[in-house]
Amino acid sequence: MSILPRLVFFASVAATFAVALPANADDPPPAPSADADAEAEGATVTVRGRAPAPSRGASDFNLRVGELSRVPRQNAADLLKLAPGILLTNKGGDGHAEQVFLRGFDAREGQDIEFSAGGVPINEAGNLHGNGYADLHFIIPELVEGLRVVEGPFDPRQGNFAVAGSAAYDLGLARRGLTAKYTQGSFATRRMLVLWGPARESTHTFAGAELFDTDGFGQNRGAKRGSAMGQYEGRLGARGSYRLGTQAYTSQFRSAGVVRADDVASERIGFYDTYDRRQGGDSSRYSVWGDIETRAGDTLLKQQVFFIVRDMRLRENFTGFLLDVQKAQQNPHVQRGDLLDLHVDSQTLGARGSARWRTKALDQTQELELGYFARADRTASSQHRVESSTSVPYLTETDLDSRLGNIGLFGDAGLRPFGWLTFRGGARGDIFTYDVLDRCAQQSVRQPSASNPPGDASCLSQQDASDAGVRYREPHERRGTASIVVMPRGSVLVGPFTGFTASVSLGKGVRSIDPVYINQDLATPFASVEAGEIGMSYARGVGRDVELMARSIFFQTHVDRDLIFSETAGRATLANGTTRTGWVGAVRATGTWFDQAANVTFVRSTFDDTKLLVPYVPDVVVRSDSAIHHELPVRIGQDKLTGALAAGVTYVGRRALPFGQRSDSIFTVDTSASLAWRSFEVALVATNLLDWRYRLSEFNFASDFRSAPQPTLVPGRHFTAGAPRGVFLTLTATLGGT
Amino acid sequence: MATLRARVMTCLVLAAGVAACTGTTGSEIVAFDAFAAGPADLPPDAAARGLTFTNGKHWTITLTRARLHIGALYLNRSVPISGGQARDCFLPGVYVAQVTTGMDMDALSSALQPFPAPGSGTADQAAMGEVWLTGGRIDQQEDRTTIADVAGTATRGGQSMRFEGTMTIGLNRRNRDVDPARPGARPLCSERIVTQIPTALTPTDGGALVVRVDPRAWFANVDLGELDAVSADSDLRRIPDEAEPAPAGNFYGGVRAAAGYRFEWLAR
Repeated sequence: MSILPRLVFFASVAATFAVALPANADDPPPAPSADADAEAEGATVTVRGRAPAPSRGASDFNLRVGELSRVPRQNAADLLKLAPGILLTNKGGDGHAEQVFLRGFDAREGQDIEFSAGGVPINEAGNLHGNGYADLHFIIPELVEGLRVVEGPFDPRQGNFAVAGSAAYDLGLARRGLTAKYTQGSFATRRMLVLWGPARESTHTFAGAELFDTDGFGQNRGAKRGSAMGQYEGRLGARGSYRLGTQAYTSQFRSAGVVRADDVASERIGFYDTYDRRQGGDSSRYSVWGDIETRAGDTLLKQQVFFIVRDMRLRENFTGFLLDVQKAQQNPHVQRGDLLDLHVDSQTLGARGSARWRTKALDQTQELELGYFARADRTASSQHRVESSTSVPYLTETDLDSRLGNIGLFGDAGLRPFGWLTFRGGARGDIFTYDVLDRCAQQSVRQPSASNPPGDASCLSQQDASDAGVRYREPHERRGTASIVVMPRGSVLVGPFTGFTASVSLGKGVRSIDPVYINQDLATPFASVEAGEIGMSYARGVGRDVELMARSIFFQTHVDRDLIFSETAGRATLANGTTRTGWVGAVRATGTWFDQAANVTFVRSTFDDTKLLVPYVPDVVVRSDSAIHHELPVRIGQDKLTGALAAGVTYVGRRALPFGQRSDSIFTVDTSASLAWRSFEVALVATNLLDWRYRLSEFNFASDFRSAPQPTLVPGRHFTAGAPRGVFLTLTATLGGT
Repeated sequence: MATLRARVMTCLVLAAGVAACTGTTGSEIVAFDAFAAGPADLPPDAAARGLTFTNGKHWTITLTRARLHIGALYLNRSVPISGGQARDCFLPGVYVAQVTTGMDMDALSSALQPFPAPGSGTADQAAMGEVWLTGGRIDQQEDRTTIADVAGTATRGGQSMRFEGTMTIGLNRRNRDVDPARPGARPLCSERIVTQIPTALTPTDGGALVVRVDPRAWFANVDLGELDAVSADSDLRRIPDEAEPAPAGNFYGGVRAAAGYRFEWLAR
């Protein structure tokens, strides 16, 4: 059977489950949402009111934030550090998406990780700065109830961009009532937060809004943002529920960009300074979503729709005055500066749904799930170069109007012949369609017209002159392509035996290619990844009050077309195939008065053709999150004080850089101490407690910031500075709730 | 059995750690000293008595002054395709070594004359070198820096003369025959770059780059007899700092000829 009939078949079946089995008001109420399989494996699972996806083995991390929310975190992206092997950096400022490194992948700003919040996708298909760009700043961290990170493409539900894995934020608010929080601290940072969780509603009914303002450390790192999120969860008959949500976010930020290490060493520029104060950006995101989950007989049905409006502008200058080389057709000019002004305006409409059927056979629970995912993106992207002296654009590099489509269908079976043996797996098929209008398709002419010279125009309307004269053309060109990929994925879980569960997982994932690379009828407009791992997990109670979970995983991943950062393009560009091999270890112990999570990742990432290391990715990442909390023997009135201490420690080994170099290592300690009395809490947070002066990102490339008499054209070390010590005081009051 | 499992696991983890922390992305960043010098075959007394040679126009020239201002040095990993389009002044991504602080050098001395600041680069094979003859930024319009400064005597047959000249590369070298279709085809920056100097060396950390400048090449095609005397009663001829007359243009072309330059690498 060819692929298309299979897709049609799956679509028909999925549609049948999705449409033909409406919720029955007479059915009994929905079962508790804790996943039965996970319970059987002894895993830690957060009750969320919705059935979580079945575990895919040792690399499937259902992360309950819990008391570890006390560990200082700048934003929702920082929660990713609860999963092993993750490093976050940011070279673009406080409104720029975090760059994520995971298991030897430089996932850039989300290009290699599928992100979602409340089931709504975050990755932006067609974003010119990075196809799959995922800005998580709109998520208010206090509204994150849990996080599921799957490190690898092992779940058929994982779609586009799940190359290194996926991260799904679950939204909820455990603290009911009205909570007001105010933070003030270093770098003139202020944050105001209001949360509301109606006392008699579920934890998934909430509203929250924050305002944030900072001057930032050093030069040109100020930021302002506002974010609001709200969701209502209601009952749908006796066996289902629905959720309606909305979200709004807008920000403006400045960015220091990179500085050259030799300029810092010679004190031509300070460690926290900037070359170009025009760097920064604007970002906004508005979305609405709605979903239902209901049970019809043995079948659990889910449907979700979402609509997202997104706008982003970035101004970055990585190379100074290097790229504006005189072209023959241009009028004579000096180097005008390399500042990039990138703008993306997109709308996304999508839906997903699934039907999971459960039955008993061989005295075990057997499962089959069929589902779909669909999204349509309309994206307008442009990138200009801006003159240093006047701040006016002098060159249009890219001007795209893209219409992107993605429909994925999956089938996932959970077969359990014995209580200790589970086969989980299936396949996913995705179709990617591209319709790209390049409004600046003709940018140079080898033999321009003498009577009508193109001069300095960027988007030209002439082809090479010939004996017949100038041949006119429109400056635009439309390109389109479509392709289908089928990705098998599966896991075998053996256990648990006295708390131990062994697992083997294999899978294939894809990342669609940036529209800028699309040619007419390009055969495969995606990069594919093949991943495999073998792992062992342990989950069991120790004594009465301690829950212990540990994992050890060996993994290997191969990508046929990787993305490597290009300073000239200002984004990641396509490179050759790469392979990653490594090991992950993670442990979490949770007691009545403490919560400790720690993980370590070793990975070796190499290019397939040269066997040389892939630059920029960390080969060693160690992370520890600790929190202790207890009542204190001090009373005020009738109520005791409660105290808590928390710390987050990160160590990142020396990363490989281009030209045989290694970066500095990173070691940071973030701490917090808090006192709570009744509905009031005061917390003192110190980030980078040791005030370690470190380089958050390091690069080797050529730039010319005019720090030498003549252009610096050979690669040199550049870096973005990590934040110095910051101290912040937070006051929290909760009224009318728990 | 449990002990064996623990040992195997420990070994595997240690192996993963060791494997993860080794390897390279290839190549190397290097720093090196940089020098300029006259030709290696100069007679020992050339600085004092001058350098005597016969040029292509049969003038026997004794150079008593031959100074050159070098703005920068660059080594490229690739050679431009012959007969291709007009070249860009520089192409980011092809450079393996650079010396970005300029100096005035004496081309009549074979001694190594250090550049004021060391060079930097990558440990990659260089196939071509460039000497940038500029006092300011390479793409600025005007530059009154004296690039070459020469003086000497010349004889041919019974004719004898003194000569001198200075050369700048500013608006006086601007392309006056502009193709309206390609107004930027011959920018001033390209006038300031001596390019396509054949080179086969790989920079190493702690080594030294030497550029040898042979002033004989500057006069290869200069017919000094075509120059006017500065006055009726003087034997001094001055080479104009212009494209015309022909000797001035040929002198300018000689200074910019790749044949007058050679790169050498001195290992540490």
